[in-house]
Amino acid sequence: MRITKTFPLFFLLFFIGCTTQVSDSVSQTNYVEIDGIDFNEEDKIETSLADRVYFDFDKSNLSDETKNILSQYVSESKKASLIRLEGHCDERGTREYNLALGEKRAIEVKNYLIIQGVSSSKIKIISYGEEKPVSYGSSEEDWKQNRRVEISLF
Amino acid sequence: MKRFLIIAIFLMTFNSEARLKIEIAKGTEQLQKIAIVPFNSNINSQFEYQVRNLINEKLTLFGEFESLDLSQMLSFPFNEANFFVRDWELLSIDYVIFGEITETDESLEINYVVSDINLKRIMLRGDISGLKKDIELIVKKISDRVYESITGLKGIFNTKLAYILNPEPDNYSICISDIDGNNEEVLFSSNSPLMSPDWSPDGKKLAYVSFEKGFAEIYIQNLLTGVRETIPTLGMSKSAPVWSPDSKSIAFVISMSGNPDLYNYNLKTKKISRLTSHYGIDTEPAWSPDSKKLLFTSNRSGSPQIFEIKLSNKRIKRVTLEGSYNSRSRFFPDGRNIVFVHGNNGVFHIATRNLKERFINIVTETKLDESPTISPNGHIIIYSAKKDDQGYLAGITLDRKSKFELPVKIGSVREPAWSPFLN
Repeated sequence: MRITKTFPLFFLLFFIGCTTQVSDSVSQTNYVEIDGIDFNEEDKIETSLADRVYFDFDKSNLSDETKNILSQYVSESKKASLIRLEGHCDERGTREYNLALGEKRAIEVKNYLIIQGVSSSKIKIISYGEEKPVSYGSSEEDWKQNRRVEISLF
Repeated sequence: MKRFLIIAIFLMTFNSEARLKIEIAKGTEQLQKIAIVPFNSNINSQFEYQVRNLINEKLTLFGEFESLDLSQMLSFPFNEANFFVRDWELLSIDYVIFGEITETDESLEINYVVSDINLKRIMLRGDISGLKKDIELIVKKISDRVYESITGLKGIFNTKLAYILNPEPDNYSICISDIDGNNEEVLFSSNSPLMSPDWSPDGKKLAYVSFEKGFAEIYIQNLLTGVRETIPTLGMSKSAPVWSPDSKSIAFVISMSGNPDLYNYNLKTKKISRLTSHYGIDTEPAWSPDSKKLLFTSNRSGSPQIFEIKLSNKRIKRVTLEGSYNSRSRFFPDGRNIVFVHGNNGVFHIATRNLKERFINIVTETKLDESPTISPNGHIIIYSAKKDDQGYLAGITLDRKSKFELPVKIGSVREPAWSPFLN
């Protein structure tokens, strides 16, 4: 008797379980619209600070030197209305993976600035992966220059 | 004895825009010898040599055959009655292709025969007709049939390549051309990067990533009308689109707050479902031929490795175990073998692997190889490589007997994507 009662319940739960899994769809309201941010390069704020920080191959963690540079940005960032962080990679490894890696690098910088008190809503990140190198060669020195996050204040 | 052939094939450029051309870097060690006899025409017109030369160009395109020079032929048969096997045995020819053209004002009909000299057997008798203005297509179809009768593999002469051209910094174009680089068309140009071209299974649309709006967005472009659409979802960054072989959906990547995960866009219902959910990087999806599972690259285990996800239960298993960098995989049409980028000590090669076996085969020798794409007959891999600060395309037949390059004159070319078979 007990078995006949629990079995349908089990199936029902199993069925619900399945449907929730497949109906895991994305609704538009979950996202922040970022269309239409046109950075006007003329509005860029000139600072005396280093405008980029560097990374190791296939890494997104910040070195002590990077953290030191970013700390100097905190007061400037608070005055700016927008902070753009552009993540880049060297040419090694695959392009789509590097696109994701560039974004991880920009996020690391963003998170560091947030912890230091910069408002998260002011920070816009974008990754170009390995698509926009500053140095086109294939030496260690070229690669070092290309693994970077560029910081611009507006 | 090793024989290295350095042959540059200067293709007839009907289209002055064409910038790619195939150069054979290394021919097969034991090339099969073919002879293509000039076709006999009912009226002595330009077509008899043109047809012969075009078929010759196609069949020798990837360095798989050595073609007998006209001057060495002992006879010029055009039907089975005047074809004598011994004329070709004397020259150690493996296959002879000959035939006749019957022309009217606007159309032509071509009867052609493929003879296997070693087996002393007619392999194929073909008959094709069409308008004279479609001569290129007719020749591609004949070449496909002849190639198939000789190799047992479906011909790929009527397929196309999509690729990204980057002639100078801040100048990007997405192009398609015939596989020999002829008939290049520019689909879209931008001063922001373009990435990741992928063909729809019917060959009528191309999906790709463009940064034209200041962030990575996926566009689906109709090749005939030029109309472009996006995937109807907001998101910070969308990338790596790949069409499912059953045409039902496009798998792609959305990154929210720096966390890229795999999603699937149902083209019929326009619904988007999430496939993976991990704080690490999940990207570079690739469909299995049965559209039931996807390979993808993830760094969830520390370094980039290839994983597989089953669509039915979203179960994930790791595929690559060897080496510190394995990524951007694609299935072979057989569904049993994969091709991917294998990195070791800062050097990146194209590798293949049978999913049932553990060992991998490294198939390229240059140091920065990426973006492998497989011919629809599963026989040839074309990939991106780099030398002298220039990106170029290179190719290899899977038996590793033939290698070729498709360089550009100016700037770089990269991310080749081979079309499906086209009609």
